[in-house]
Amino acid sequence: MKQSFRHWVTLALLVFAASSSAVHANTIVADLSKDHISIKSNFAGEKLLLFGAVDTTQEGPIEDIVVVLRGPGENFTLRKKQKKVGIWVNGAAYNLGPLPGFYAISSTRNVAEMAPQDELIKLGIGTDGLEMNFLSPTLNAAERREAMAGFLRLKQARALYAQEQNGVKLIGGRLFRAEINLPSGMPVGTYVTEFFAFQNGRLVGYQTGELPVDIVGAGSLLHKAAYEMPLAYGVFGVVMACFMGWGVAILFRRR
Amino acid sequence: MQIYLPIAEISVNVLTLIGMGGLVGFMSGMFGVGGGFLMTPLLIFLGIPPAVAVATEANQIVASSVSGGLAYWQRRAVDVRMGLILMTGGIAGSYAGVQLFKLLRELGQVDLLISLSYVLFLSIIGGLMLRESLNAIAATRRGQPLRARRPGAHSWILRLPLRVRFRQSNLYISAIPPLMIGFFVGMMSAIMGVGGGFIMVPAMIYLLRMPTNVVIGTSLFQIIFVTASVTILHSVENQTVDILLAFLLMVGGVIGAQFGAIVGQKLRGEQLRALLALIVLGVGVKLFVDLISQPEELFSVTRMGFGG
Repeated sequence: MKQSFRHWVTLALLVFAASSSAVHANTIVADLSKDHISIKSNFAGEKLLLFGAVDTTQEGPIEDIVVVLRGPGENFTLRKKQKKVGIWVNGAAYNLGPLPGFYAISSTRNVAEMAPQDELIKLGIGTDGLEMNFLSPTLNAAERREAMAGFLRLKQARALYAQEQNGVKLIGGRLFRAEINLPSGMPVGTYVTEFFAFQNGRLVGYQTGELPVDIVGAGSLLHKAAYEMPLAYGVFGVVMACFMGWGVAILFRRR
Repeated sequence: MQIYLPIAEISVNVLTLIGMGGLVGFMSGMFGVGGGFLMTPLLIFLGIPPAVAVATEANQIVASSVSGGLAYWQRRAVDVRMGLILMTGGIAGSYAGVQLFKLLRELGQVDLLISLSYVLFLSIIGGLMLRESLNAIAATRRGQPLRARRPGAHSWILRLPLRVRFRQSNLYISAIPPLMIGFFVGMMSAIMGVGGGFIMVPAMIYLLRMPTNVVIGTSLFQIIFVTASVTILHSVENQTVDILLAFLLMVGGVIGAQFGAIVGQKLRGEQLRALLALIVLGVGVKLFVDLISQPEELFSVTRMGFGG
């Protein structure tokens, strides 16, 4: 309730800002339904609402809007299984990166129709631009394509990469909103949001922001401890196990 | 109710985990076997990364062997000296196992190591158990008592140097065979996330010629320390122990084991043993089929430096 009130206030301010700054260079203003994402122990994914408003330029109303949510860059190892002596084992390994651990893009229509391909790649819109990020230089073009397609399939299967062509809804030619699904396996770190407004194939508005994502609560403590003080973490696991085993044995003996 | 596992990095239903822990615990209490060799594959089938399943299961076994071992300790059915020697070998073995695990993880082959080890051991154990229980059923039908078989021990092994007197077991044998058995089982424990009682117990009876009344207590005694060592070493070297997951499995497991033990005392063994053997074989076959059938997706991806 409180949160949705906040949305309306923000939205009202945005509309005001958009309409009062007619000569302003930037024609897009936007915000998110949350300023950070907390992965609690019961986190089973959630929806992030991205919304804002666009100006009308001399050339008319803006109709092409793209929103991008990009997770922190990581290096990945991609492995391909091969059949060896009758069983499927990991064969070739490719290192790629840095690639975003999460990448979601949503737009009012197919981005390919909004602007030329090289412009989109330059702006980092769409997964085509990611193809350059190979660390293994020995691959030929076909192997690169196959590996990249495999990488995208795996990420899409876990909802870590998503593309929606009609995900951004324009309301009254001025307000827009889009929803992005945040799955439970999303990596932690600082995410980047980007909002693009296109008109007649040109970029006419751009805004960017940050969205921190972290694990909170007991899960966060355990995650941190496991990586930062692994010895103490392991000893804690053992001590807990001893107490659990001992406690239950006592409990059942008494009965 | 979904819960996010901080190391496995997936959401799993809490009740599924507790239920699985309870079921496997119940079976292990009923049959008197450790549950590791069933629980680890089940966790893998559930979608937990195999490396996390193995290390976490070792942590759970600490709890179940403490709870099981306590009763034997109070009955003085533990050969402490033998347990300590097995444990020494076991801790060394767990170190070697974790290092091998780490190496193969960096090469992207640790899942294969785990699967192959399981296919091998589950088919051997399942096969032996099935044969034994079928023989027992047949003997009962014929009305004959089944005589315990004791294959001729290679006594020269026990007469190697470094002989130690084991009062509790009434033995005077070389420390080398128990050290080696401990080492082997410790390595298995690190690679498969099992206690290894199913190897340790027959080895103690047939190779070391220990009296049966101290075998299970001594096995559990050393499993506590070896799985504790595996848990700590995996935490340090691979960061694959998920304490939250281990905790949920323990909740189900230790309780299930207590009820399983009660039920197990009231039921006739042979048919149940045959059933357990079939379950063990079934899990082994499933893992084997997964290895030989073409996967739908040939690619797999990990963060760089995280092999499994």
